[in-house]
Amino acid sequence: MSRLRGGASVFERGGAGSPLWGRTDAAVVATILLVTFGAALQVARDRETVDGPAPPGIRSVPPADLVQRAALSFEAVLADLYWIRAVQHYGRTRLSGGGAREYALLHPLLDVATTLDPRFDAAYRLGAVFLAEPPPGGAGRPDLAIALLQKGLASVPDRWQYLQDIGFIHYWWLRDRDDAARWFQRAADVPGAPWWLRFLAATTMTEGGDRAGARALWRLVRDAAGDSWMREEAARRLAQIEALDALDRYQRTVDRFRVRTGRAPRSWQDLLAAGDLSEVPVDPTGTAYELTPFGAVTVSPRSVLTPLPDSGALPARPAG
Amino acid sequence: MRVICTIARQVLRGAVRNRVVYAAMLLAVGLAVAAPMAGRLTPGQDVKVVKDLSLAACNLCGLFVVVFLGIRLVAREVEQRTVDTLLSKPIRRYEFVLGQYCGLAATLALALTVMTIAMYVVLGAAAWWRGVPGLASVAPVPVADPALLKAVLLIFVQLAVVGAAALCLSTFSSPVLAAVSTCGLYVAGHFGGELRNLDEVVDSRFVTSLAAGLSYVLPDLAAFDVKAAVVHGQPVTAGYMVLTAASGAAYILAFLVPALVIFTRRDLL
Amino acid sequence: MSAVRLRELSKTFHTGFWRTRVHRALDAVSLDVPRGAVLGYLGPNGAGKTTTLRLLMQLVHPTSGGAEILGRPVGDVGVRRRIGFLPEAVRFHDTCTAEEFLEYVGGLFGYTVAERRRRAALGLDRVGIGADRRRRLRTYSRGMLQRVGIAQALLNDPEVVFLDEPMTGLDPLGRREVRDLVLALREEGRTVFFSSHILNDAEAVCSHVAILNRGRLVASGRVGDLDLRVRSWELVAAGPGESVQAVGGAAARWVTRIADGRYALELPVEPSPEALAAELAQRGIQIVSLHPRRETLEDYFLRRVAEAAAAAISDDEAECA
Repeated sequence: MSRLRGGASVFERGGAGSPLWGRTDAAVVATILLVTFGAALQVARDRETVDGPAPPGIRSVPPADLVQRAALSFEAVLADLYWIRAVQHYGRTRLSGGGAREYALLHPLLDVATTLDPRFDAAYRLGAVFLAEPPPGGAGRPDLAIALLQKGLASVPDRWQYLQDIGFIHYWWLRDRDDAARWFQRAADVPGAPWWLRFLAATTMTEGGDRAGARALWRLVRDAAGDSWMREEAARRLAQIEALDALDRYQRTVDRFRVRTGRAPRSWQDLLAAGDLSEVPVDPTGTAYELTPFGAVTVSPRSVLTPLPDSGALPARPAG
Repeated sequence: MRVICTIARQVLRGAVRNRVVYAAMLLAVGLAVAAPMAGRLTPGQDVKVVKDLSLAACNLCGLFVVVFLGIRLVAREVEQRTVDTLLSKPIRRYEFVLGQYCGLAATLALALTVMTIAMYVVLGAAAWWRGVPGLASVAPVPVADPALLKAVLLIFVQLAVVGAAALCLSTFSSPVLAAVSTCGLYVAGHFGGELRNLDEVVDSRFVTSLAAGLSYVLPDLAAFDVKAAVVHGQPVTAGYMVLTAASGAAYILAFLVPALVIFTRRDLL
Repeated sequence: MSAVRLRELSKTFHTGFWRTRVHRALDAVSLDVPRGAVLGYLGPNGAGKTTTLRLLMQLVHPTSGGAEILGRPVGDVGVRRRIGFLPEAVRFHDTCTAEEFLEYVGGLFGYTVAERRRRAALGLDRVGIGADRRRRLRTYSRGMLQRVGIAQALLNDPEVVFLDEPMTGLDPLGRREVRDLVLALREEGRTVFFSSHILNDAEAVCSHVAILNRGRLVASGRVGDLDLRVRSWELVAAGPGESVQAVGGAAARWVTRIADGRYALELPVEPSPEALAAELAQRGIQIVSLHPRRETLEDYFLRRVAEAAAAAISDDEAECA
């Protein structure tokens, strides 16, 4: 208030040659101070609401058709908005380690986004990945992921990527190689689809879900991916498969040590001392593998590869 | 101070006699009255729909009043040269601008009061008509919930911020430009949350910190919107109310200070 | 003490989209208006009259120089309690009535509610707005708005009144009323500073004039002190018509019979009319009066403006050479 009163006396001076610059200066400073103060209060308010109401729009999702009608001619922008919200909802929940319950809004948000913009490619493909992965990494709803992709196919039937993605979900999460192969086959039948889809279908059909097939599959995904997130995700999967192979190898080393000495190694040092290993083994990301007190080799929980897909999904090929 | 009040009263008088403002308020009141009919379309949710619609009408019509009046107050007085007469009287230019702003705020308060009264009347009538016990079983939130006033109060602060922005912009740009910019600010102010959480989508640290910085510098208008929380009976703490209102007040001053200086320095041709 | 004093007052406007075109609206104008004077601030359209008044009201800030009203700088808000201002083509908030508007203006002066009412009623009576005072200003005619404008300018019983083109847009009757009003203000001892491009109006009421052309002061002073040139002589003679015609008919431009046995003769500046007067007297014709006819303010104004323009041209030529 004193600042304002100070300003008033300057205003009175007015007239020619008055130091206009002086009071502009004061006003700029005052404005900056006020904005800073306002911003600080906003931050304080946001702190206040950490466990209060959720950020706007995320609290509940209105039915997709309602939003569409209310959108007037701004469907595309609103679709983007809902897609951004879906990604944020996914990202935030994933970071906070939330379970399936916390992902409850993911599918409604994606549904609104894709209803508003039926050709929203990223929302279908990445959205399906978010939905299919089991908690905590995703919603663990491969059924909803497939439904979302089929919704995409309804509006863009010649998009073979959606068919391939559905096959993928069948292969990877539903562990149904026959269904997966059928979807890959359908994808391959779409005019303009790449040659390797047929190869993929055949591989899946005949070899049936071993790591070699999986590796081939992820490599194809990695090399064909148009999206960097997709490419990195494929690379991570490949690293996981590599880690699974390595775990089998080191487990055999540990088992040999146990047979030889009659006890489980306490640490990698035991194995180094005995000459079974020349160095502490690390996973493809450079993080050391862990050895449990009971002699089981695992990926470190600190590694980005954690959690590994459970072995049921990727049965190890019999040793030898 | 008395001069500011006098000017504010004159603005209020002009607004009350303005048919456009009347139309906006009538529309809002009409919407509140019609809301029970819309409520019938969604069984079990009628009270919620009445509250939703009434509060939305308050917000929207208030916005209309604030933008419509805010951009015209100073600009129109200058353009129509009514300001010539007034500024030759023993008032300072900043008193004139402050008076105009206070008048705008008073008009907004009056409009919101009328609409709020209409909302409570409709809610009371709905409760009486349908029988309170039946409604109470549907939702644990009371029908004529005093907490709705919290939403109305924050709507007032939100729109007072928008009004200050409109006034500020209108001191140096044309009314049309000021209207467009004000509406732009209103929209941008609602995307604060999205800007702040951009780091979950974008990797570039520069972009994310720029967006986050911007989101804190801009008034977060979405934070003033507690309509849904209030309607669903979720608690809105006193701390939240106080901090939000205080940040709103800071932004109002941040818009008014440049408005005062610009208007004081300006040549009125 | 002067009521209004301008010291080298200048205002430059920058126009055009990039504000590159420079327009010097007022160029170092210095002027002293003594208290109790009625100053006609005269000049053609675009001379800078309105700019001067807006500078005095602080609606526009000077580029250089300054101005004082009643010994205080124009930026002083307090001095505005003692002045009144009628802007050019005045307009008001058109949703309120004349009565409400004047009460609002009274509020700006900080009067009590009763005082506002009293002054508003008095002011409206003075300018002859009777039953219409409860009608919205939107429905008022140009002339009625001008009256309300005058009423608001006089509401605080001002010592100095500034009127910007008060007669423009008024019918002859309205102009007459404004003229009478200015004379009444002069009687009451107030200082009046009014701008006009209608010189006849000014001539009738002014004690002082200042003539402005293209932002520069061309002439200023008391009306009586202006060097108004003698353009002709008017001689009134009483006697038989034939002899008046016979003596004066050749020298006079024209002769008119103004009453029984009374004739008015318009005589040129040269030769001096004394010889003719003597000759008439010899013939037994009585000389009733002999007056010089001076140029009107309008003639004076046009002459000064033309002189200023000629001086400017010769200056330019001197510069070129």
